[in-house]
Amino acid sequence: MTGDFGVTDAFAGVGAIFRRELATVLRTPGYGVLAVGLLAVLWLLVAVGGGGATGFVPAVVDLLLPAELLVPLLAVVLGYRTLLADAVSGEFAVIRTYPVGVAGYVVGVLFARLVALVAVVGLPFAVIGGYIWLTAAPDTGIFATHAGVDSPLLYVRFLALITLFGAAFLALSMWVSAAATSRRGAAALAVLAFLVGTLGGDLALIQSLMTGTDPSAVAGRAALMPNGAFRGLVFETVIGVSFAQEGNVVDVGRAVGSLAGWALFGSLASVGTLAFRERMSTVIERVRFRFAE
Amino acid sequence: MVVDDLTRTYGGVPVLDSVSLTFGSGLTAVIGPNGSGKSTLLGALAGTVPPITGEIRRPNAEDMSEKSIGYLPQQVPFREGFTARETLAFYARLVDGDPDAALASVGLSDAADKAVEDLSGGMQRLLGIAQAMLGDPPLVVLDEPASGLDPGMRERAFRTAATYATDDVTVVVSTHNLDLVDAHADRVVMLARGRVAAAGDLNVLCDEYGVDTTAALYEAAGRDAALSGTADDANPSRSGAAAGDEQNGSGDDGDRDVHVTGVSER
Repeated sequence: MTGDFGVTDAFAGVGAIFRRELATVLRTPGYGVLAVGLLAVLWLLVAVGGGGATGFVPAVVDLLLPAELLVPLLAVVLGYRTLLADAVSGEFAVIRTYPVGVAGYVVGVLFARLVALVAVVGLPFAVIGGYIWLTAAPDTGIFATHAGVDSPLLYVRFLALITLFGAAFLALSMWVSAAATSRRGAAALAVLAFLVGTLGGDLALIQSLMTGTDPSAVAGRAALMPNGAFRGLVFETVIGVSFAQEGNVVDVGRAVGSLAGWALFGSLASVGTLAFRERMSTVIERVRFRFAE
Repeated sequence: MVVDDLTRTYGGVPVLDSVSLTFGSGLTAVIGPNGSGKSTLLGALAGTVPPITGEIRRPNAEDMSEKSIGYLPQQVPFREGFTARETLAFYARLVDGDPDAALASVGLSDAADKAVEDLSGGMQRLLGIAQAMLGDPPLVVLDEPASGLDPGMRERAFRTAATYATDDVTVVVSTHNLDLVDAHADRVVMLARGRVAAAGDLNVLCDEYGVDTTAALYEAAGRDAALSGTADDANPSRSGAAAGDEQNGSGDDGDRDVHVTGVSER
């Protein structure tokens, strides 16, 4: 291989990392078990809520709260050790001797884990959607163009939002895996990220309302954390289409930006942490050395 | 490749102390007692251990399009669940290499379809050596490639490294197997407590010390280094350095005379 390090070389590197990571996921039986377990839980929830015959939007209402917990949980499980594994084994140091940058490495791993997220989390939700399609009342087959009509398109929106929501938590959990120095540390950080991500936004919102924040600001502030953004988007773009509602639950543009922003932030933070962690420790050693002299 | 006044500390304790060396083409063996700084030096050469002071100038370091360093760490790091061929195929894709040819070069063709975790320790090290040589880098750094191997595997690992070390290629290996150094190395760097005790062409060094083998050279150079470092033994920080060096390298020797000869020492 000769010549300048071009886009083709960069893509080849990302592609190799992607294939290896995807193969690792495919060879981990635990992820399949998680997907089957999630499917069972979702089916149970829909069944308890009246079964698939109730339609797409009622099913979304039943699944919204569990999704707020299960999607982040599974995304964190998929991501919290990804970058740590190579760092601890020493393989990352070997990979760095090849013409692939830290950004390319993180992108390759992230894309593979995104595919895994779609398979482990998105697929069970999609199967439930198929189940509803097969069992729901006739009017749920209508492709909605206006409010008040149940539709599979609304469920597809729900699936898209779940993927975006999961991607945000996946990227943040990958940052955890880049920052951690041990498996136990990664688990602790992952639990912390999960709790802050799922509960932190709501608690902060309640706190701000108790301290006199104008309620009209809630729609904007709810979008800042991933869970608030996801919940608000589901209300605005899925449930709200069928049920007329007054006032905004969330600022849609800000909520989409928030989820995409968290995903981008997690990815960039992963790259930055991997790239600069060794440099930071070296800087600290240099300071110690200077003082010791 | 030039190492200029390299110092590396861990927790403020020097592990490599003002090391300056030049590595030419051929096979250079880095020897020394446990905790003398061998792994830290090799990590620095491979670019995985940044220096605290000093610098390392490597061939083709600015050329990002090609693999300029091949590296095998002390612990073979390959991911479990993949076969030997799949493991090398991953690395080969990064440099447009041929995994089967790489496997053949270390005699592992018959084990190509075995999972990495099912390979013996020796086979894993050979796989690591094949990985390091993928992409034909001009510098290959192998940290104890013969560690824990039976005599046959040790010989095979060193022979592979020596065969790769041509006129245009620098191969640096750390080892405790001094008989293999006798058989295969062109040059030797001996470290003691983070400093260069002796460095240079193996034959020239043996002549200067009046010895016939690397084992005798090791003893003579080590004795010189210990004698010249006696005054520093009173320094309590040294025991801490040695303890910390189990993972990272070695401690501070302080100033002492170093018997250096040949082309390697700067």
